[in-house]
Amino acid sequence: MKGEILTTKGAVRAEFDFWVGLYLDKFLDGLEQKKFIGNKCSKCGKVYIPPRKICGDCFEHIEEYVDLPDIGVLTNFTFTKWAISERRPRQSKNIKMIGLVKLDGADSAMLLPILKTEPENLKIGMKVQVVWSEKPQGQPTDIKGFKPIGGA
Amino acid sequence: MEKVGIVGYYQVKPETDIQMSRPEMIFYAARGALDYAGLKRDDLTTVISATNDYYDGKTISNCFTVEAGGAYLKDESKVEMDGAHAVNYGLMRCLSGHHKLALVWGASQPSTFYYSCIRVLENDPTFDRPINLLNDYTAAALGMRAYMNKFGVSVEDIAKVGVKNHKNAAKNPLAWNEAQLPDITVEDILNSEMLSNPVTKLMHALPCDGATALVLAPEGLAKKIIDDPVWITGVGLCQETYYLGDRDLSISVSMEKAAQKAYKLAGINDPRKDIDVVELFEHSAYEELVLAEALGLCEKGKGSSLSSEINGEIPINPSGGNIGAFTPCATGITRIIEAVKQIQGEAKGYQVKDANRAIAHGQIGFCAQNNIVFILEGGKR
Ligand SMILES: [Zn+2]
Repeated sequence: MKGEILTTKGAVRAEFDFWVGLYLDKFLDGLEQKKFIGNKCSKCGKVYIPPRKICGDCFEHIEEYVDLPDIGVLTNFTFTKWAISERRPRQSKNIKMIGLVKLDGADSAMLLPILKTEPENLKIGMKVQVVWSEKPQGQPTDIKGFKPIGGA
Repeated sequence: MEKVGIVGYYQVKPETDIQMSRPEMIFYAARGALDYAGLKRDDLTTVISATNDYYDGKTISNCFTVEAGGAYLKDESKVEMDGAHAVNYGLMRCLSGHHKLALVWGASQPSTFYYSCIRVLENDPTFDRPINLLNDYTAAALGMRAYMNKFGVSVEDIAKVGVKNHKNAAKNPLAWNEAQLPDITVEDILNSEMLSNPVTKLMHALPCDGATALVLAPEGLAKKIIDDPVWITGVGLCQETYYLGDRDLSISVSMEKAAQKAYKLAGINDPRKDIDVVELFEHSAYEELVLAEALGLCEKGKGSSLSSEINGEIPINPSGGNIGAFTPCATGITRIIEAVKQIQGEAKGYQVKDANRAIAHGQIGFCAQNNIVFILEGGKR
């Protein structure tokens, strides 16, 4: 990116197999069956999804798993033409809609794509439902995104 | 708290593309801070740096900055956070009684990498990274929308923060040239490029190259080095959860807790009365309001009605703040130096009248996950 002064080019790339832990393994197995599995802190009752090993409020192990429905509420959103890239900035062909989705019965929200609507229709508090990928593989990307349901 | 004084400092002028190697830039900051204090490298007992291995493109990047940063054959350590956290580390070393003089510096060169891309590597690798929707722009957009939605604040009110800081930057010769915009309007901000709705380019802190440094000394020694040291009389820091979906982004619990700790140490009961000037590290304009509210400078949701101009009731970022020059890893140190200059009466062109007690702030993480608050005081009262 420099002008007249010489620069040297370089890149950093490293491969990892991130260990997800048994609790997230359970969540990913659920996705493969098109099901949402969260977990619940026995002390404060908070329901997390994706599941967490430790409740931040209580500093306790979370042991109880709970099934959650595939519908929830959009609690926040944004939309952007910029691709989210760790390599170099580039613009996408389409504007990407992004939302925080809180499943009914959960206390935490997941940041996921919002589909099958237009940016101007997005509203905090709108009901949304999951869109699964056609062939789930037990990966976070099995959740294709969420689409508005009802009046939207 | 026992007092530690700031006895020297230096800011390398931030540039879009600084045309210097990293060691050169760091050397000018480190050597400049020592020269200001009339000290020699051998007077130092410890050197603390703030850099980020990802931003430097190599691991343990401080092993390459030993000579430039004044740490050759010295006690040396680094924090992988904002420069304000490095100042806290230096402060602790001075307070331990084992160190007499600490040089603290922070630096990065965003002209050599894509800042918004590198920050994607901060994401949780087991969920957010495969989903790949979170970066500097989208995080700020979620924070801004949460704030606007909760308190009914308009985009114009947020844009006004950008206007103030760009205008202030125009008065500060050490702000970034591209952010020095004396004639900017709310319309200019709203019409600038949309990064991620509702955050536009001119309401966001855009990274530039830079390095800053300061020297810390315990009370007795500080008074021997310069006539009017500015003292650190309080510090507080607090960390909240990484998960944005667990947090209420319209407020900052960690900033509130950090401020309460710092106020207690410094004996501040009413920040509205006791604080003369504030320097905040905000990634985006809305954050200035959230952070000011968490400091207790006004009610929650009322940040946009604060009188925060240079000659206002509680001036915030008279230097232009982080929107005036965002030099990653250095910016927290810059916020402290700018507060020191205000207290010394050295902020020529953007001086707040009779400033004697200031807040300076640093942060890390998306939507200010971690906040650190310093209380700085002069000897005028
Ligand atoms: Zn709990």
